[in-house]
Amino acid sequence: MSVLPEDWALPAPTAITEAWFTSRTIAVQTCAECGSRQHPPEELCHRCGAMSFTYPALSPNGTLHSYTVAHYAVNRALAPHVPYAVVLVSLDDAPELRVIGNMPGVPIEDIRIGMPVVAIWEEHHADDASVVHLPQWQPR
Amino acid sequence: MRGAAVVVGVGESAYYKRGGATESEFQLACTAIRRAVADAGLTMADVDGFTSYMDRNEPVRLSAALGVGDLNFTAQTFGGGGNGAAAAVTLADAAISAGYAETIVVFRALAQGQFHRYGQAGRPRRTRGAGAFTAPYGMLSAAQTCAMQTMRYMHEHGVTQDSLAEIVLTCFEHAQRNPRAIRYGTPLTREEYHASRWIAEPFHLYDCCPENDGAAAIVVTTAERARDCAKAPVSIVAGAHGLEHRGGVAAFSYPGFPTAYHRHVGEQLWARAGVGPQDVQVAQFYENFTGPVLMAIAEMGFCEPGELNDFVADGNIRWPNGRLPINTAGGNLGEGYIHGFGNVVEAVRQVRGESTCQVENVELSLSVSGPGYAPGSAVLFGRG
Repeated sequence: MSVLPEDWALPAPTAITEAWFTSRTIAVQTCAECGSRQHPPEELCHRCGAMSFTYPALSPNGTLHSYTVAHYAVNRALAPHVPYAVVLVSLDDAPELRVIGNMPGVPIEDIRIGMPVVAIWEEHHADDASVVHLPQWQPR
Repeated sequence: MRGAAVVVGVGESAYYKRGGATESEFQLACTAIRRAVADAGLTMADVDGFTSYMDRNEPVRLSAALGVGDLNFTAQTFGGGGNGAAAAVTLADAAISAGYAETIVVFRALAQGQFHRYGQAGRPRRTRGAGAFTAPYGMLSAAQTCAMQTMRYMHEHGVTQDSLAEIVLTCFEHAQRNPRAIRYGTPLTREEYHASRWIAEPFHLYDCCPENDGAAAIVVTTAERARDCAKAPVSIVAGAHGLEHRGGVAAFSYPGFPTAYHRHVGEQLWARAGVGPQDVQVAQFYENFTGPVLMAIAEMGFCEPGELNDFVADGNIRWPNGRLPINTAGGNLGEGYIHGFGNVVEAVRQVRGESTCQVENVELSLSVSGPGYAPGSAVLFGRG
């Protein structure tokens, strides 16, 4: 089902990205002081400069904003997996925020800008036995 | 604004396909610098500063090897990649105008055959920071990044694949007149462009800059010192280097997506210069990939995004009859990819009347650097 090799790169969750990569929700970084939302998570709120955040779940629904199809394998390990599509999804609850992903199991020729999509999560087990839940996208 | 600094020399090493250079990257840098200083009619002892961007050939080592006297100023820009080419010129202009140095060499040396290739990526394991949101999905290269921007831009503004092709065909056509160009003697047809393999849709092979070995340099000094030089000085009319608020937020979540990051640069440049895009006779647009070139043409104010197909069609950007000939030495695609510094050298040559695709009566000559990576930069040259 996975678009890339089973042992391909995984995120190493940090304090500000742990919710995104482990909660199996669209946990968008939200400023605890001014309520402003930003993605990817940052160390400081870009609006008010605060350093404390909450990570409430937004709707998993989104709209496909852009994509590319990678035909050239920039790393040898990807060679058996090209071509693969990388998509950019605008969140329906926060259209100004965009999320990168793949569309596992979806034929490349079915991918269109403007198509409604929904998040799913892939469970990956890292070498150190930690678990990462990687958001991916499916048509809806 | 027109500062105190002017350009008095240009020079390059030979340009090679990746791995083709018999000299080391450091030797390529020294050759380009020596030629630029000789072209200026100066000696190495006259040089007292260096500026560049992302370069690993340090002025400490260069100055010792080249016989430079006392060194008074060195600097590189922050930020991603070739967008520092024009900005490095503005660093020299600023330092000379402020009196920190008198004669600065602005240079870039890049031998991808001797170090890592820009079109390839190492294998990431556990990623942190912005890479955690891209690498796990196979989003690793500049081509893929600019492809994501360009795909949306084409969708929003109706830009066609043939307009991407126009950038490539223009560069290759101009390269046929430039004996320094790597693509000299190897023209390209529209059919060959469309038939070439995909790299990252919407980019075919020829939409992507090649990986090359070479170095290029210019010499910047005071207007007063320029009176002793071999050729008429070229003035630095204005430069700009910057970004809108939050313009560089990672992973495509910046407010202006898709952008070449040149809206703010264009506004700043024209305001400082006191002229507009209609006053420019010739322009060099850094080609990492063709899509960002089109975006930069619109963002620098030459046309609206919806007018791009017409702006580039029918030879409109080609020498000799186009209304705005671009990339007249062949650009990164045709002449050689020296991280865009060839486009700075060529902009100077156009003012001097030394281009192999020389535009007539050039008063203002523009060079736009590194679209698609933040922050952007541009520099406008004119008659001294």
